[in-house]
Amino acid sequence: MSEVKTKNKFADMIRSFGLPRLIIAGFLLLLFIAAPFTGVNLGTQITNTINRFSWNAVLVLAMVPMVHSGCGLNFGLPLGIISGLLGATISMEMGFSGPVSFIMAALIATPFALIFGSGYGTLLNKIKGGEMMIATYVGFSAVSVMCIMWLLLPYHSPNMVWGMAGKGLRTTISLEGYYDKALANFLQIRLGSLVIPTGSLLFFALLAFLMWAFLHTKTGTAMTAVGSNPTFARAAGINVDKIRMLSVVMSTWLAAIGILVYEQGFGFVQLYNAPFTMALPAVSAILIGGATVNKASITNVIIGTFLFQGIVTMTPTVMNAIIRMDMSEVIRIIVSNGMILYALTRKSEVTKR
Amino acid sequence: MKTKKFNARIWACRIGAVLLLLAIAAVMLVIGRGHTVYFDNKTLETESGTYEAIRKITVNVGGERVAKLGAKERGMATTIGQSITFELVIQREKNGDEETVEYTLKLPYSMDGIIVNLPALLEGQPEEVYLSEFIPAPEPVTEEDEELPGEDEMDMVGDI
Amino acid sequence: MKKNSFNLGEFLKNNSVPIMFIVICSICIPLAGYSPAYLLNEIVTRMGRNIFLILSLLIPIMAGMGLNFGMTLGAMAGEIALIFVADLQIWGIPGIVLAMIISIPFSVMLGLLCGKILNMAKGREMVTSYIISYFINGVYQLVVLYMMGALIPIAHSTIKLPRGYGIRNTVSLLSMRQSLDNALAIRVFGAKIPLLTFAIIALMCLGIIWFRRTKLGQDMRAVGQDMEVARDAGINVERTRLISIVISTVLAGFGMIIYLQNMGNMSTYSSHTQIGMFCIAALLVGGASVDKASIGNVFLGVILFHLMFIVAPNAGAKITGDSMIGEYFRVFVSYGVITLALVMYEVKKRRAKAGMGRQLAAEQQMEGKNED
Repeated sequence: MSEVKTKNKFADMIRSFGLPRLIIAGFLLLLFIAAPFTGVNLGTQITNTINRFSWNAVLVLAMVPMVHSGCGLNFGLPLGIISGLLGATISMEMGFSGPVSFIMAALIATPFALIFGSGYGTLLNKIKGGEMMIATYVGFSAVSVMCIMWLLLPYHSPNMVWGMAGKGLRTTISLEGYYDKALANFLQIRLGSLVIPTGSLLFFALLAFLMWAFLHTKTGTAMTAVGSNPTFARAAGINVDKIRMLSVVMSTWLAAIGILVYEQGFGFVQLYNAPFTMALPAVSAILIGGATVNKASITNVIIGTFLFQGIVTMTPTVMNAIIRMDMSEVIRIIVSNGMILYALTRKSEVTKR
Repeated sequence: MKTKKFNARIWACRIGAVLLLLAIAAVMLVIGRGHTVYFDNKTLETESGTYEAIRKITVNVGGERVAKLGAKERGMATTIGQSITFELVIQREKNGDEETVEYTLKLPYSMDGIIVNLPALLEGQPEEVYLSEFIPAPEPVTEEDEELPGEDEMDMVGDI
Repeated sequence: MKKNSFNLGEFLKNNSVPIMFIVICSICIPLAGYSPAYLLNEIVTRMGRNIFLILSLLIPIMAGMGLNFGMTLGAMAGEIALIFVADLQIWGIPGIVLAMIISIPFSVMLGLLCGKILNMAKGREMVTSYIISYFINGVYQLVVLYMMGALIPIAHSTIKLPRGYGIRNTVSLLSMRQSLDNALAIRVFGAKIPLLTFAIIALMCLGIIWFRRTKLGQDMRAVGQDMEVARDAGINVERTRLISIVISTVLAGFGMIIYLQNMGNMSTYSSHTQIGMFCIAALLVGGASVDKASIGNVFLGVILFHLMFIVAPNAGAKITGDSMIGEYFRVFVSYGVITLALVMYEVKKRRAKAGMGRQLAAEQQMEGKNED
């Protein structure tokens, strides 16, 4: 469609890249250029950006399968996050420590992710077309159930429960002695103020590669087919519901692993209301990276996470240095939600069912 | 496509509605202005003379007693609108006769807090003498960082 | 006889949410141990506070645009108006009236924006309006936190942050606190009945009933049933949808002002964030669905939802020994109800579609046979 009128290849490129993305990328570039002049240490800033990239990338990657199978953006990410949190807390309760606790957390989180994911997938198969809104509220409901559960479940580890009452998990739990920086410290590279968490990046690269490889298997291509044209896929003999279910379970599992990676970088487990706010940044990150409501690639994940986290880390310091006002929070809200809005209103992407 | 015809009647209605709302807003600005009026029973010394504080004054606004002032005391009343009507019950000497006076004062729009010096008012002095603006003491500058909003406050603990 | 029992089943199915809530409330009320007079008083207060806000949701539902999560926009407009009124020091009922008038241009502007965007996202209005509310919340923060006091003159330091610009976390509305509610209040069984507020609500209900019968209201219903059919009938679909959102936003602005005058102070940055969710939950508890809601649903919903809201913390504390459980429980119930309603709506829609498909297939088969 776009080739018809555009003579200019450059204009075509811009169009395919999307104006909002260009603006965001330009803004980030501007921040990087402005940073040295404002006395901000560029090395620290880049380190922060890379660090935050390594925390969040897997959560953003979790968007990919569901977008591919046509389930839309996974606003139900908190469901997967909860599986991860269950894994984390149970692993700590069972007394694992050090990097082993990370592996155990991932192992324990897996069955939860599979169970929650398949329930969630069954639900989403019943309501094709209305996935995104319902996903949002499934996520919220799950988080609020777990708010009750964190208080009621029989956790006893003194590192996790409220000291006074001796029961009920704390809102934030320090991971010191557990898997704090378990991945980040693996093969860490230090170059002056630049610190690269190689392990986290490698872990993400591994998952991203697996995802890429999966999308090129027979099941993977079937998933893409289901997403782009379900009627055609059905005619080709693909079990649409089964593929969608698989994508939802994958998304949920990746979210569970993603939150564990996030925690190991951040150093804390955040419970109760924290998962509420985690879906939107991941959603907008992948959209900033060039994904649409029904198309997403690994490149989108990488570019998007980098741009989004770059803005999140750079704006507070640079803006503060320039205008003595910390407007970063407001900018982040407007940019991230504006990006989601932009994606939702693109006419060409409204899937026909 | 329907050609949009300029419909004079509809536009007249719309403009009328906007004007009506503006008019109501203007009326509200006039009748709704809130003031805090402070009644001072203090000795006032000005170039034109000295007005001695009175032993006891009771201030009634709208039939309700808002203040009972000895000398050097200050009372307070809040009022809505452009003027305030109040009644002063004055007792100049102990166990002396009480006299009652009623006043209606126009309140300047620009002032939030207004001090009325009652002795000067009772002497029949002009507005410049008895009326002054109440300027609240500047609050001590505290370095408390008010916690500013996050993206979406999901704390739903609270009342609705 | 057989038909009767069938109807009962259907009735239970159609009203499962309100019935569930009646059950929850009837379990929680005795556990919470509040006196009936206290409960009555609280419910009446909350009815006066919330009904107008919830009424603002009805019109977009009529126009087939689902639950208007964008009502938050109206709430923000109302809050901006209240900030100005607090700064102008207009008190009492005139202050409320003035705030309502000031809120109109903001509401209309935001409503137009929201409606325009929703017209670009047909078929996913709800999730879009939900994201719009977040987006505009960012813009609201930009305006209130950075521009007010800097670009927009704010005179009183009592509502400004000490740094000289931006509005404080809480703005006191003491000067107009409950002035609407107290204006014509009567006491019945120890409960204060704010007659003036209820009169305004009643007027609003009549207004909505009247609006349904106007040409515009009929158009909206037509658009809500089937956009294409409505378009063929010569209705300007986009414009009708736009108007429904604008009306909803303006009403939400008024509703927020009524709500906040009852509260007596305003959390500048958080009052509006949850209001959409609670209003929608209350409406759904009253038995409304995504495509159908009546004034009766609003009233029933407010009573049941708030009854649950009042008794849940105490009841939760009695059962588990922790009052936080009850607080979390009522949050869960709010989200759960919305989830349930959304799922039921989508399932119904799909079933209807599938039914239509089968019918079409059957007809084609018939025609095929006839041709043979």
